[in-house]
Amino acid sequence: MNTDLSPEAVEYGATALRALEAAGGDDLAPAGPGERDGGDAVVKVLTDLGAWDLDPRGSTEELEAAAALCRSAGRRAVPHPVAERVARPRDVDADALVVVAGGGAGAIAAAVAGLALRWVAVDLAGRRSRATPRPDAHPVGKPGVAVPLDLAPLDGAGAGDVALGLVLPCWTLLGLLDRAVDQTSDHVRARHQFGQPLSSFQGVQFQLTDAEVERVGVEELAKHALWSLATGRPDAVADALALRLAAVEAAEVVFRITHQLHGAIGFCDETALSWISRASQPLRRLPFGPSATRAALTDHLGRRGLSGLFS
Amino acid sequence: MLDYDQGPQVADLRSQLRRLIADHVPADYLGAFTDDPADLDVAQSFCRLLAEQGLLCAAWPEEFGGRGASAWEQTAVREEMWAHHEPRGAQYMGVNWVGPTLMRHGTVEQQRQHLPAIAAGEVIWCQGFSEPDAGSDLASLQTAARRDGDGWRISGQKIWTSYATMAQWCFLLARTSRGERKQQGITVFLVPMDAPGIEVRPIPCMLGPHHLNEVFLDDVWVTEADVLGEVDEGWSVVQEVLAFERVGIARYARVERLLRWAPDVLGDAWDRLPDELRSRWARMLVHARRARLLAYRVIATQQTGQVRPGDTAAYRIAVTRLDQESAEVLMDIAAEVTSSDGDRARFRRAVEDHHRYSVSATVASGSIEMQRILLARALLAAA
Repeated sequence: MNTDLSPEAVEYGATALRALEAAGGDDLAPAGPGERDGGDAVVKVLTDLGAWDLDPRGSTEELEAAAALCRSAGRRAVPHPVAERVARPRDVDADALVVVAGGGAGAIAAAVAGLALRWVAVDLAGRRSRATPRPDAHPVGKPGVAVPLDLAPLDGAGAGDVALGLVLPCWTLLGLLDRAVDQTSDHVRARHQFGQPLSSFQGVQFQLTDAEVERVGVEELAKHALWSLATGRPDAVADALALRLAAVEAAEVVFRITHQLHGAIGFCDETALSWISRASQPLRRLPFGPSATRAALTDHLGRRGLSGLFS
Repeated sequence: MLDYDQGPQVADLRSQLRRLIADHVPADYLGAFTDDPADLDVAQSFCRLLAEQGLLCAAWPEEFGGRGASAWEQTAVREEMWAHHEPRGAQYMGVNWVGPTLMRHGTVEQQRQHLPAIAAGEVIWCQGFSEPDAGSDLASLQTAARRDGDGWRISGQKIWTSYATMAQWCFLLARTSRGERKQQGITVFLVPMDAPGIEVRPIPCMLGPHHLNEVFLDDVWVTEADVLGEVDEGWSVVQEVLAFERVGIARYARVERLLRWAPDVLGDAWDRLPDELRSRWARMLVHARRARLLAYRVIATQQTGQVRPGDTAAYRIAVTRLDQESAEVLMDIAAEVTSSDGDRARFRRAVEDHHRYSVSATVASGSIEMQRILLARALLAAA
């Protein structure tokens, strides 16, 4: 048993985080306080780190490194589809992989829809399509979470892409949850009301613990799903869906609580939570939100259930 | 690299335990603490069987009669026992924390007196901690011990004391002096339950018989040899005991077993359940796995010699909530089981038992509020 990523993967993630911070940190985020050209800076940093050379299908070491990288990208809410690019299929000419809900429809995050990338979409049944964002569906300057995709059927050979395409974005979301909880812990220690720090109020403490239990639970499920993927277990898709369900439900709790504990300052872009919270939305809704994730998991499990002590 | 495979040794141990349970524990067994005395007999004989096979105290060091089982083997034992309604009965307390605490703090004489009996499955201990005015605020306990010649006289009242009606010994906390802080001046006594002056009164409750009792102590005489550790320094011992308890019960294992059992019991009727109910079932499977992985996180950290109280608290919060939330889902599923043939009736009774017992999950062994305080402390202490 080993419940930790390899030290090399952890170090790679930490190096990526330091590099992102050196390149602008929160200014890189799409709604961050600085210039909105973070995309180019992020690409340069990640290229220098060799992110696009990572082959998560090739070895467990690289899969773990990819996960650590996605988590660091999440912590900085970088405006680039890092998980999707690292997960790109190697057997077709493509720059990025996105999992879609199926039924001939799909969408990607609005923040990355304008990038010149060749997307491949895969649904839960392993059907792959060439995917092209419809930029006209998301007018410049208008708020929005998702952009629909035009899908052109490609093949049915994507069964091996599904779990990876689900798991790595969850690591990005985990990074966002890490940051939200960290920021809120700092805030309630620093902010004084009624002559004492907010952190001294038990009502505040208990809300924060609810958020932390959700966050740490996602962390453990994310590692387990990664292991399931790395070892080629037949339950890898079920494990990925289980992770996704926990992650999107956790995000609902964590962002509700962290916004509440920040008060009005949490809505302001001078506070990281303001853009971290928005950056989480596409990850939480695409390819499906909590209800549809629950339905997908339930259908997938049938009467069999998840692998565990009694299966 | 990540590796959640516990290896062949743990798998073999699990198989061995399941065979023993299948062969020696009745299929409708729901724990030792029922109105049927035969259930207590099952636990007693099963403990002796485990002891004979070196499995009761496998986790203990060899010098104390164990075989130094790995942390993951110990985990497998906890999981299998709890999943199958703890066929060790009350003995799990002696094995899990009384014995290990005696190994760390007991005198050689105390170890000689108590450890072999625990290892043989022959003795039941109860825990004399809570009092009417000292629950979560345990350090406010008022039961007092005063020196009398070469021993002590203990007077006071304990409450919520599980298994006190059947226990031979009590691991009891009493105040021996008053310091500046209420945590000072507490001493651990090992008290024989047949000592004159002890009266046990059962408290009827929804958990079933034997779970809750009051224990009255009126000038109970114990000797100096019955003091565990240093006089007035019992609080540090208590902290260790509570830490043992916090990871002690693998509640998620019973939940996993019941959830996994449900579709088999319903058969084709499973597919006719409301989608929403099957979806809640799937969600509980995820939560059960989450709790199990949080337990593994704690165990893996402990193996490296570290203690992260926040991790333990997070696990306890997750697993006790799981107990209660899964109980609601399982009760809804059990209500759909209309047939009363063997397996279906057993499932329904097991679920009802789980539901009644789950009510206490967020209260027993340190309330969820205490866990949240510990987790908040860990979170907010971080720089």
